[in-house]
Amino acid sequence: MRPASLLRTTTFRLALSYLGIFTVSAIALLALVSWSTSMFIEWQVQETVEAEATGLSEVYHSRELGGLAEIIGSRMRQDVEGRNTYLLMGHSGHILAGNIKSWPAEVSSQVGWVRFRLLQLGSVGPGVEVLAQVYELADGYRLLVGRSLADAKRVKSAINRALGWGLALTILLGVVGGYFTSRHLLQRVEEMSRTARRIFGGDMSQRMQLSGTDDEFDSLADSFNEMMDELERLLEGIRTVSDNIAHDLRTPLNRLRSRIDLVLLGAPDCEGYRRTLEETLADADHLLATFNAILTISHAEAAARLDRFEVIDPATLAGDVAELYEPLAEEKGLQLHCRADGGLTLKVDRHLLFQALANLVDNAVKYTPAGGEVSVTVEGGPSSVAVSVADSGPGIPEESREAVLERFVRLDATRSTPGNGLGLSLVQAVARLHSARLSLEDNQPGLVVRLEFPVTDRQA
Amino acid sequence: MRILLIEDDSEAAAYMAKGLREAGHVVDHAATGTDGLFLATSERWDAMIIDRMLPGLDGLAIIQALRAAGNTTPVLVLSALGKVDDRVRGLKAGGDDYLVKPYAFAELLARIEALSRRVSSTQPETRLKVEDLEMDLLARTVTRGGQEIDLQPREFRLLEYLMRHGGQVVTRTMLLENVWEYHFDPQTNLIDVHISRLRQKVDKDFELPLIHTVRGAGYTLRAAR
Repeated sequence: MRPASLLRTTTFRLALSYLGIFTVSAIALLALVSWSTSMFIEWQVQETVEAEATGLSEVYHSRELGGLAEIIGSRMRQDVEGRNTYLLMGHSGHILAGNIKSWPAEVSSQVGWVRFRLLQLGSVGPGVEVLAQVYELADGYRLLVGRSLADAKRVKSAINRALGWGLALTILLGVVGGYFTSRHLLQRVEEMSRTARRIFGGDMSQRMQLSGTDDEFDSLADSFNEMMDELERLLEGIRTVSDNIAHDLRTPLNRLRSRIDLVLLGAPDCEGYRRTLEETLADADHLLATFNAILTISHAEAAARLDRFEVIDPATLAGDVAELYEPLAEEKGLQLHCRADGGLTLKVDRHLLFQALANLVDNAVKYTPAGGEVSVTVEGGPSSVAVSVADSGPGIPEESREAVLERFVRLDATRSTPGNGLGLSLVQAVARLHSARLSLEDNQPGLVVRLEFPVTDRQA
Repeated sequence: MRILLIEDDSEAAAYMAKGLREAGHVVDHAATGTDGLFLATSERWDAMIIDRMLPGLDGLAIIQALRAAGNTTPVLVLSALGKVDDRVRGLKAGGDDYLVKPYAFAELLARIEALSRRVSSTQPETRLKVEDLEMDLLARTVTRGGQEIDLQPREFRLLEYLMRHGGQVVTRTMLLENVWEYHFDPQTNLIDVHISRLRQKVDKDFELPLIHTVRGAGYTLRAAR
């Protein structure tokens, strides 16, 4: 992946801006820490100086100047590291005791807390900063007690260094982390768009890879894959339809054409023309009926607007279908029953469901031999309503049950009976539109076609 | 009847106009929506046939304009759009009936004639009578020549529809839509079987047959000519 393209990604920009905000707050936090640490250290130095000064003032009160000078001398000897500064000086400038040679010029006349730089022996640098307290004693004597801030400075700078490194490391980790996170996300997005490109390049079998972590990308990929399955099914449907239109409609269209051709070849004959025209009209009607069936299926498959759905009583619908077909069944010497549980409701496209059931009953009546039985049943289960049409006819062999749901598929044994092979495809399309489960089962003997509607919105 | 035909396809219009004139109607034709609306408002018509997709002005817009102006002339909407949604939209716009292309001419004629009848009988009827066949809509009884005929509820509605359109041709689709109230497309001779059952009860024991099959179109209820 080119870094330039990575820098343009939303994730990386987001990571960068987060890093910016984070850095600013880290700096603020560290500055606070640094400031309060240095305050604390100085306060500690101050305490030390104060304790020292308190001790010395007690000595001064009890043992006068001489004792003070003596104690200072002994303290100086104890302070091998030279952290403390002492100076006891008379008004004329002579030194009674102390480890600095003269009164520091910067604080010549001040009393109380002072701060000055002390040049150490042999050092060329700016010297050491000293925090000191100055007291006025009797007779113009002055006492300075101080402590070097060098240690405090060292601690402070060590802390600041550590904080600085911490900050640098934080920023570095932020940048690297942001880079890798966005690269990881980008890789998955890239992979998805690569797959999408391959799909619209024509390879409909491509699917999004799942990482198996069940994250939001997986769920996106999942939805995408589901969409692709549906799309592929629809496209396959269109392809099958065009193939079948070519196959099943070309034959009657060709017959129509040659019939007209033939009659025009012969001698003009009014009665013959008339007969041919009548036959042609019948053919055209059959073709139109087939086209209408295809359109109805497409309509159902296009998952028409669900707001056209209405709440119906499936028992009424099943009763209407049975009633419509009853005379036909009777004419064929069949028994047609309707057994329906009452008090059920379904939200459906009434006309399409009626057409689907009519197709099923039509098939059952068509293929069941005389003396047989056809029944329409509506049963309400706890979570579904099942509408089924059963017959005692020859049934469909198990291996062909899948196939008969395809458009235009007609089993060889039925080629000679009227019909266009679209009946069950319509039932399937209607089932899919209503999220119903369509199953073909053995009725022993005969066939049961069952439509199971999930009942989720019974109150709707 | 004076019929106004608004249809932009000249061949389809010529075919319809010819058929309607042969059936004894007076037909005027407009090829665009704007001309159609002008003709529709400037003269009195018994019925109109309006195509949905027209140049100039959409068919449904014409109907809406007519209805808004208080014009109640029965309108048959013609359309290539045949889904239930489309029908509903056509009827909601003020159309009285909806016919999907392609159609058989017999269907168009039967529907337009049924439409004109619908208007003339706005009075609520309680008794229908054709020859010696009588139907009492309140008591829900049917008698012929004083003899009671026992009908199933659906047979009663079938006969009622035929009687209300007595003398007119009624197509199978019209029966399905109006008696069964489902829009669907039976592949078999379903309606014929229902009619033949009804015929058994209504005509069998009587000399004068009332229910007649009109070849290529549908059925009609009348005394034989």
